[in-house]
Amino acid sequence: MKGGLRQSMAWLHTWSGLLLGWLLVAIFITGTSAYFRDEISFWMAPELHQSVASEATPELAWATLGATAPDARAWDIILPHDRSPVAELRWQPDTPEAAEGGGRRRGERVEMDAGSGEILEPRASRGGDFLYRFHFELYGVPRIWARWLVCVATMMMLVAIVSGVITHKKIFKDFFTFRPGKGQRSWLDAHNATAVLALPFHFMITYSGLLIFMVMLMPWGMNAAYEEGWRGFFNDVFPRQEAAATGGTPAAMVDAIQPLVNQAEATFGQPAQRISVSWPNRDNARIEISTGKEPAITDRRRGGNPALVFDGGGNLLDTKPGLYDDGASARIYNLLVNLHLARFADPATRWLFFLFGVVGSAMAVTGMLLWVSKRTQQLRGREPGFNLRLVNGLNMAAITGLMTAMAGYFIANRLLPADLAGRESWEIRVFFLTWLATLLHALVRPHRRGWMEQLAALALLWLAVPLVNLATTHSHLFSAIAWRHGALASFDLVCLVIAAGAGYALWRLAGHRPVRKPARAARAARALPEGETAS
Amino acid sequence: MTVLPLIGSLGYAGLTALALAMKRHHEAMLGAKPDERRLRVFRVLGWALLVLMMAGCLYRWPTALGLSMTLGMVTLAGLPLVFLLPYRPRLAVPLAVGLPVLACVGLFV
Repeated sequence: MKGGLRQSMAWLHTWSGLLLGWLLVAIFITGTSAYFRDEISFWMAPELHQSVASEATPELAWATLGATAPDARAWDIILPHDRSPVAELRWQPDTPEAAEGGGRRRGERVEMDAGSGEILEPRASRGGDFLYRFHFELYGVPRIWARWLVCVATMMMLVAIVSGVITHKKIFKDFFTFRPGKGQRSWLDAHNATAVLALPFHFMITYSGLLIFMVMLMPWGMNAAYEEGWRGFFNDVFPRQEAAATGGTPAAMVDAIQPLVNQAEATFGQPAQRISVSWPNRDNARIEISTGKEPAITDRRRGGNPALVFDGGGNLLDTKPGLYDDGASARIYNLLVNLHLARFADPATRWLFFLFGVVGSAMAVTGMLLWVSKRTQQLRGREPGFNLRLVNGLNMAAITGLMTAMAGYFIANRLLPADLAGRESWEIRVFFLTWLATLLHALVRPHRRGWMEQLAALALLWLAVPLVNLATTHSHLFSAIAWRHGALASFDLVCLVIAAGAGYALWRLAGHRPVRKPARAARAARALPEGETAS
Repeated sequence: MTVLPLIGSLGYAGLTALALAMKRHHEAMLGAKPDERRLRVFRVLGWALLVLMMAGCLYRWPTALGLSMTLGMVTLAGLPLVFLLPYRPRLAVPLAVGLPVLACVGLFV
């Protein structure tokens, strides 16, 4: 590295951005979708769409669990809430394996129609969880390796942010500058605008992304202070209450849960969210009913909700006000992590975070395109070499390819037969096969026509998602609008917006002639009808 | 009605005023060469509008989230301005006046 600080920072920014850019684009795009993880999962399970929360839901859930798993170790009822209208019933069978895991192992889980009490059988699908998980641990790679890889990319993103700010010559003077129709210059402006305007978001999302994995990245302090390592640290910071190790003798529990739910709601002035029972139908049964709480962004991520604890006969044993007084550093940690995950966000705020994610993705994408645009311009009309074609192809696969694969994933959800063995894996296979197809296509056709073909595929597949939905379900866009179901309607509308965006990009690309130096006049002539001003 | 449109349009108006405080953008948007005094007036106006927007964010969200969202709303309000400036510079100022007024009307509808 020679030259001044700015040159070396530009070098660092260019190459750290390029090498991990493909991964970062994927992390950004899937991460943006993860803000609507629950809504995507819900859309991908049309069998649940008819469920409507009702007054009778807690009682129906109570009766269902009593009939299905009377002698379980534990029950858990997650009542319907604004992001999901079904009741989720979980129980932990009383088996030796469950006892070994201290009752923390995953047990059985079903979804119940909150209005009728019917057990629903949604098609097997990983739903939004697949995209959410891919965002930080990819797929098919050993989890710990993938997380390290994502953390390295995130660290490089932090490096790219800092080096990018130093590289940027006129950060305030060019704050509002965008000069369209000028090839490399325009990509640079677009990259600057999306990077600088959203700088607080980029920094927050990157830094908090690392914070979430701080235990994995920097375990030394915890290992030095606690003999059992991070587990000890977490038991101290987030103490959890252990259920009794063994069940007592059989004993009847309250027949009706509604009075206890009412009591909890009256005590805390918030709707009940969850009913947890340890050792149901034993004499040491404990029923805990937790409610919502005033959301505070500096609260810890999970738990801490106010709750009432009853014994099996419905006698109040304990009132947990659900307040924590975390220290200042814990509150800052909570703030950053909660911002990253958009926890406690109401629907409107969630949409804003989604838009921030879109801007972040655009920042990464424009950076990748800038790299190719700059080097294409330097060729002055000569044929691009292997490296440039490779980068261009990989860009295509990372950007349009990934988006196309996501549409393929959603279409597969609607078209794969419900009784297919390993159905949820097949959805994911369709995702990766589509992505692989776009990668092969991109490597064979790494040029403007290739981009146009991929944009066309992208637009068509995203357009197909609401159409296939219309053909295969009863909860398509029109009925979702009629039911005033925001989440379902928005899903299809966002598909249409993405398809329209890709179509617009295709249209612009089709009308574009490569800019050469002598072409100024032609460019000016073309700019006029579009109302562009050459400034 | 929700205060979000008001917050967004105040942010947009504030940023437009700050752009008007820059010679290059001032000429593009208003077509006149500004003197130093006018630029200063727009700079103060711009920051004042952004402070007002922050007040809106603190009203809409709890303090810690509201401060964070202030920065986020600047992002979302700035992007339309960045794209208006090259394509429709003459439209930027009327929108900066009209949108907050519309949002205020929306509050009472």
